[in-house]
Amino acid sequence: MKPMRRFKCSVCGYIYDESAGVPGQGITPGTTWEDLPEDFVCPLCMAPKGVFKLLEEAPHPDAGAGSAIIEDTHKAADGLDDGIKELSAGEISAICSSLAKGCEKQRLTEEMAAFNELADYFKTQVSDQGTSWDEVANELQEDMAARFERANAVARADEDRGALRSLVWSEKVSMMAKSLLERFAREGDAMLLNTKIFVCDICGLIMVGDVPPEICPVCKVPRFNIVEIERR
Amino acid sequence: MPAYRNIRLCGKDCMCLYVCPTGATNTENSIIDASKCIPGCMVCVTACPSGAISMIPDQYPPQQPKSTGVIAAQRTLGQSKVRQEKIAEAVAKATNSAVTNQFARAVAKSNLRMAEDILRESGYLLPQSGEVRELLTSLREKAGPGFPKDAAELLLTRLQG
Repeated sequence: MKPMRRFKCSVCGYIYDESAGVPGQGITPGTTWEDLPEDFVCPLCMAPKGVFKLLEEAPHPDAGAGSAIIEDTHKAADGLDDGIKELSAGEISAICSSLAKGCEKQRLTEEMAAFNELADYFKTQVSDQGTSWDEVANELQEDMAARFERANAVARADEDRGALRSLVWSEKVSMMAKSLLERFAREGDAMLLNTKIFVCDICGLIMVGDVPPEICPVCKVPRFNIVEIERR
Repeated sequence: MPAYRNIRLCGKDCMCLYVCPTGATNTENSIIDASKCIPGCMVCVTACPSGAISMIPDQYPPQQPKSTGVIAAQRTLGQSKVRQEKIAEAVAKATNSAVTNQFARAVAKSNLRMAEDILRESGYLLPQSGEVRELLTSLREKAGPGFPKDAAELLLTRLQG
């Protein structure tokens, strides 16, 4: 008999153990990964089957490869000319809305309003970037293929725990977004016709389902910070 | 350093009312009256069984410095998320389908939350930081038509490190 395997949800960390199944969902112990239905979703965070990864006692990734990436990125940073260094309107807008939240945490109400005003203004200054789902998917593909890996390598090398934390969240959120975009490309509006969609207001995780979870599967914030995006 | 009550956590145990020496916690809207609150007193913070009261620090520690490599990598990702937000908004605007519009708004919001978090970690964590001051100053210098000058002025005046 083949040894039983375990698969980990890359969004929330839930582990599917073939030897245990998910009795609550009628998946009997001993159900192999291949025998799980294609529409199986993570019992914890509703992520699709595609984001699960086989758990194995993996050796550490080759350290040499990591340092090559770091060198590249430092070179890239040195090569930034002033034109690229300058923040775009979209970046300024996001920075200002994030600083508004920083002020809110410090109970600086008027400062929060001022940062929000700046964020709104710069949002109107953002130039058009495209109008199709394909263009979103292409950017996201590039994030998953290279940008996260590079950012993680540099942040690890610098022991920048703040940056690492932001990357852990956003990589999981991106993974969920990618799988939902792919599902939407296949199913179209049917994907949401008879259910609801929620976004975590802290980390941005998108969740499709009838009810939001008690806590966000990625950043663990309680439900009151998970908002429903209504149809209108 | 005045006390602040988180209304979401407040269990109406009313211990703060009992222990507060000045009555600062006894307000109709449940917001602690900073003008009556004794800075650094902490009596209500210790007494609250729901852990709903905390002290607002007068000063925050300086930001951890960011390396140019981290800044470049975070910004590259942040720019991508900002771009995806903008495209998703355009999709939402262009579609006739209420469901596609709903999904596109969810994707846009998700990307904005990621962009905020990723870019905050490129050196813009603390509103009182030198980096933010520098940013506000340069925005004011380059102000185009419609730029909210008063907002920038207010921030430059109030947010001193």
